[in-house]
Amino acid sequence: MENENVGKVTQVIGSTLDAQFAEESLPAIYNAMRIDIERTVQDETFTEALWCEVAQHLGGGRVRAVALGSTDGVQRGAQIFDTGTPIQVPVGEETLGRVFNMVGETIDDLGAVEIEERRPIHHEPPELADLSAKTELFETGIKVMDLLCPLVRGGKAGLFGGAGVGKTVIIQELIARLARFHSGYSCFAGVGERTREGNDLWLEMQEAQIGDTGKRVIDQTVMVFGQMNEPPGARLRVALSALTMAEYFRDQTGADTLLFVDNIFRFSQAGSEVSALLGRMPSAVGYQPTLGTEMGELQERITSTSSGAVTSIQAIYVPADDYTDPAPATAFTHLDSTVNLERSIAEKGIYPAVDPLASSSRIVAPEYIGEHHYRVARRVQQILQRYKDLQDIIAILGVDELSEEDKIIVRRARKIERFLSQAFYVAEQFISIPGTYVSREDTIRSFEELCDGKWDHLPDQAFMYVGTIEDAAARAEEIEKG
Amino acid sequence: MANRRLLVKRRKAVKNIRKITRTMQLIATARFQAAHSAAVSRRPYTDKLAELTAHIAGAMGDLEHPLMKVPEKEERSALLVLTSMRGLCGAYNTNLLRMALERLNSHQEAGVETDVGMVGNKGVAYFKFLGRPMAETYTHIADLPSFEEVEPIANSLIGRFVAGEIDAVDVAYTKFFSAGRQKPMIERLLPLSRPQAEEHGDAEAGGDMHAEYEFSPSPEELLDELLPATVRVRLFQAFTDSAVSEQVARMVAMKAATDAAQDMIKRLTQQYNRARQTQITLELLDIVGGANALA
Repeated sequence: MENENVGKVTQVIGSTLDAQFAEESLPAIYNAMRIDIERTVQDETFTEALWCEVAQHLGGGRVRAVALGSTDGVQRGAQIFDTGTPIQVPVGEETLGRVFNMVGETIDDLGAVEIEERRPIHHEPPELADLSAKTELFETGIKVMDLLCPLVRGGKAGLFGGAGVGKTVIIQELIARLARFHSGYSCFAGVGERTREGNDLWLEMQEAQIGDTGKRVIDQTVMVFGQMNEPPGARLRVALSALTMAEYFRDQTGADTLLFVDNIFRFSQAGSEVSALLGRMPSAVGYQPTLGTEMGELQERITSTSSGAVTSIQAIYVPADDYTDPAPATAFTHLDSTVNLERSIAEKGIYPAVDPLASSSRIVAPEYIGEHHYRVARRVQQILQRYKDLQDIIAILGVDELSEEDKIIVRRARKIERFLSQAFYVAEQFISIPGTYVSREDTIRSFEELCDGKWDHLPDQAFMYVGTIEDAAARAEEIEKG
Repeated sequence: MANRRLLVKRRKAVKNIRKITRTMQLIATARFQAAHSAAVSRRPYTDKLAELTAHIAGAMGDLEHPLMKVPEKEERSALLVLTSMRGLCGAYNTNLLRMALERLNSHQEAGVETDVGMVGNKGVAYFKFLGRPMAETYTHIADLPSFEEVEPIANSLIGRFVAGEIDAVDVAYTKFFSAGRQKPMIERLLPLSRPQAEEHGDAEAGGDMHAEYEFSPSPEELLDELLPATVRVRLFQAFTDSAVSEQVARMVAMKAATDAAQDMIKRLTQQYNRARQTQITLELLDIVGGANALA
């Protein structure tokens, strides 16, 4: 360690800092640097490492770096060590079942990990020629998603939604549904969200079993957290750390890997916090000018290659429900399927509050999901679209003024709207309705019959939080009995 | 932030709708008054006619008349349904048609063949949509029906009843009680019911000065004139009631629509203002931020 490249801190501005190195031994961009801070807590003195990442070369041997931890206690003139490589995180089977922070230290109080291999969090995305071209539907058992915006195995899905419409719940539900029946590995990245949610998830994973193998879900999962309390530098890089671990599983084991990220918006937000401190001119709506590049660098690495598939599911916060905001807008283009959560639907008490008209998937096309599924999905959307178009007329003139054809459409649309709701496994304790898994065939058949008018006689209520259409019929009978 | 231009467009559309519904409301109010006064001014004649018929019937004692002949078994009947020519009158047609359908279904179960005579475009369109047969359709009745328009319908019904083609005639229409109360109902037009005489018998009992009339020409001949006239007038009354009720229904529906449109305009204006404000704030922030960064 003695022959490390040493510099001096010359300036600290919030979560960025400047350091002076010798002109000939300037640390490269993205190199990790370490500052040892002495802290005294209740007469006990210990040394804490603060990691920084080089972001800019200012000339004259000066570098500007982003701190990946709190800069409290850093002094001008403090020694700063260049490690010569980017931040490296542990990878491999040893990481399974553990919880890390973004620099690869465990935070679950279960002792140190025996690490064989570390990998830098920055590197090139896979080559064009290495990408896999397979397209296959990934069944979730959630009706609205399987029907209208199916996930792609080895693809990327985004869950868009404003504050409090249920993004995190859906992510957790998908973990419960997919990870439980999944033979490969799972990676979870907690980016700038509530620490409590991370803790809930961790505890839940310890309890959940994979299928009937007797193995716990956590044993096949790596979790990396850089939550709200962390400085922007950590939130900016935590997704990369988790991704690096997932990439190892993809490249080395060839297993199907799931990558869950909650929440990608916080990554952009952290970037914008840092950007101003780095002295970049703000761009549209105050975001960093490099917003698109940063998002591209991250997203391009989340991909399936010929050696293995990474299926990623990302929650994306939409500030003020404005989908044109640059942060969610840049994320849109990278995704195979987008699931839009809509406040007005959540307000009706319909969960998951997926907007059936705005949500879509690349594979909703006859060549991927089959002619039948495609036709049913489009019919459902047509009915709902017509209902939406008629909404103003209904609001002003009332249902009675509609033509008979439109009245039928409105009646069916109301049923479809409610039938898109579904009980979740993870929400069972809150709504006291057990979660349901509906196979894709059942989903398609149910919606087709609904569109055909086979169930027009059931009351609207019977369609709330049921599984298949037969469940709705059974519910209707229950309602009738009282 | 909903698209501002979209909001403006929607608000414009709603404003146009409001303009129409408000006009419709005013027109309906005027028409209602006209129809109402017409109905009211006819009432003395109708009352007098009923009174006269009752007198004669009372004098006749046990009278027999083809129009009062109750069939032993009802096998074939006619149902005349009075719907409106135009829409935009709320649940006026819906309620009436629902009632008519219920009657038709119960007839079907009882094995009674029913010819439907449909008056009004709305009912015709609805039955066509359902694929139900209609024996006759009348789609050229004025907003304020005249007796000349109703008479032929009544005559053809009377003719068929007397000829024994049909055993009964019912009329489904919206009865007008007051401006606040109208009710869809089905009334029997033929055979004429006998209790008519008793109804008016009460009124006669009140007047001690009740005299026995001597009739010339004979009561039978008079009844041959009066009974068909009663049927015609009663049918005409149903048409008039329907027309008045329709205008009331339209008035109420259009008032509600205008109010709803008003609310929506208010909401859209709020949304628009908010969107505009947000956009201005954002642009200001961008400009100030940019200027500060350059300074």
